[in-house]
Amino acid sequence: MTQAAVVVDDVSKKFRLYKEKNDSLKTALMRGRRSVHEDFWALNDVSFEVPEGSTFGLVGRNGSGKSTLLKCLAKILYPNSGSITSRGKVASLLEVGSGFHPELSGRENVYLNGSILGMSRKDVAKKFDEIVDFSGVRKFIDQPVKNYSSGMYVRLGFSVAINVDPDVLVVDEILAVGDAAFQAKCKEKFVEFRKAGKTVILVTHSMGNIRDMCDHAAWLDNGSLVQVGDAQSVIKAYTADIDKGDR
Amino acid sequence: MTYLSELFASRELFYNLTMRDVKGKYRRTVLGQLWSLINPLATMLVYTLVFSFIFRARPSVGDPSGLDIYALWLMTGLLPWMFFTRVVTGAMTSVIGSAGLIKKVYFPRMHLPFSVAGSVGYTWAIEMAVLTIALTVFGGMPLIWVPVALFFMLMLTFFALGLGMLLAIGNVYFRDLQHFTTIALQMWMYLTPIIYPLSLVENQAATHGQWILDVYRLNPMERFVSVFRELLYDNRWPDLSDSLVCIAWTVVMFTLGFLVFKRSEKRLAELL
Ligand SMILES: Nc1ncnc2c1ncn2[C@@H]1O[C@H](COP(=O)(O)OP(=O)(O)O)[C@@H](O)[C@H]1O
Ligand SMILES: [Mg+2]
Repeated sequence: MTQAAVVVDDVSKKFRLYKEKNDSLKTALMRGRRSVHEDFWALNDVSFEVPEGSTFGLVGRNGSGKSTLLKCLAKILYPNSGSITSRGKVASLLEVGSGFHPELSGRENVYLNGSILGMSRKDVAKKFDEIVDFSGVRKFIDQPVKNYSSGMYVRLGFSVAINVDPDVLVVDEILAVGDAAFQAKCKEKFVEFRKAGKTVILVTHSMGNIRDMCDHAAWLDNGSLVQVGDAQSVIKAYTADIDKGDR
Repeated sequence: MTYLSELFASRELFYNLTMRDVKGKYRRTVLGQLWSLINPLATMLVYTLVFSFIFRARPSVGDPSGLDIYALWLMTGLLPWMFFTRVVTGAMTSVIGSAGLIKKVYFPRMHLPFSVAGSVGYTWAIEMAVLTIALTVFGGMPLIWVPVALFFMLMLTFFALGLGMLLAIGNVYFRDLQHFTTIALQMWMYLTPIIYPLSLVENQAATHGQWILDVYRLNPMERFVSVFRELLYDNRWPDLSDSLVCIAWTVVMFTLGFLVFKRSEKRLAELL
């Protein structure tokens, strides 16, 4: 058994759902100090390990907590209890191109976005050509990004993020964007990643993608872990459950 | 300590966010960076016209510089004030303004208010340089006082940042705060001797009671403005108690803002 790249240990995450949120002074004064809320557990005591070098798929219905879990992995959210430990640098592709400044050129935005994702100027400079080639927007790289089509925008953002060169890459439903050719390129990049011994954790709704790419998988339902292990068997159980629900 | 070292390790992000604002602001304008000088000049003209010619505000002659020009006297107080309000309002809205980014990417969030201070400070530095040249041209000797002035510029930056970070967190919970602060800052300006000299308040205190002046001088911005005037307009060492009060306010306000921001930082993604 190889070492674990990520250990998710007993993680629970609670959201407060506000019936009426006191985000103005008037409502706060009128209703007293307390907002009316109820707790909603988006994750319940989830534990599993992601082996180093594996491509790990996360499946589950909408609202089952997949994105919440990924955000906890990426340190955007913090679990209420339990812990997540990762070996090495974690990078996340949750929504690419956030942080682009519309008036700045593609080139300037590559540097800006790179540093938001934790790359140094030197790293970006070294990878600049690779990033631009991968995105396929070289002709427009000195144009302000507000003139980009949404596809170009996403491709450039994705290219920066994927070149951060993390040890663990966290991807949320990103394969749904871009045209077929770009998706093929992305898959190639994931394969390259795996060959380099890196770990990829991804959420996708395409069972085909999971079957092709993942070797391990976990199935979440209503914030709880149903099954974790070898990708083929998890997918089989999950699709069987969906079919049962459909009938 | 790890928090600070992470902040320091990602200082390139601070630089890039600052430059994003600096470069993005005047992009595609014909006059570009010149706009940042036109704004204070226009304000200067209006205030000079209204308060020097119509209301006849007469600040005392610069001692020992001998300067007696209302417009220059005004600007040594007004430029720090304008910087202060821009940093406070900018830092306050920086968190909500980057909600999309905060919910999608992890990075040390404190760079958002810090970079506001960076980009506003960049403009302020240019304004202050132009003012220093103007003061010299009209017969003052501000140049030797520049190092001390730089020190107090740094103090004012951290004071404004501390307040701005505090308000940024408050603003996440109560969006009203933003509108309230805009009004409060306007009133605050008139409670600070920027467009009129402190002697007017001293005269009132002499007839109506000393407490007026004591209360009036609780305002930390009054101290900052006095310090900048003494350094650049009068060309002398600032009053020691004023200097110490400035430093004390800075330490307290920045520490408070820093700690409150640090404590709430992790929860920002779900609060926004
Ligand atoms: N910031 C939030 N505040 C309140 N509830 C949230 C928040 N983020 C997610 N949720 C809730 O948590 C549950 C899980 O969401 P999510 O992790 O996005 O599911 P998935 O990605 O599996 O579709 C959903 O019911 C969603 O409404
Ligand atoms: Mg999701």
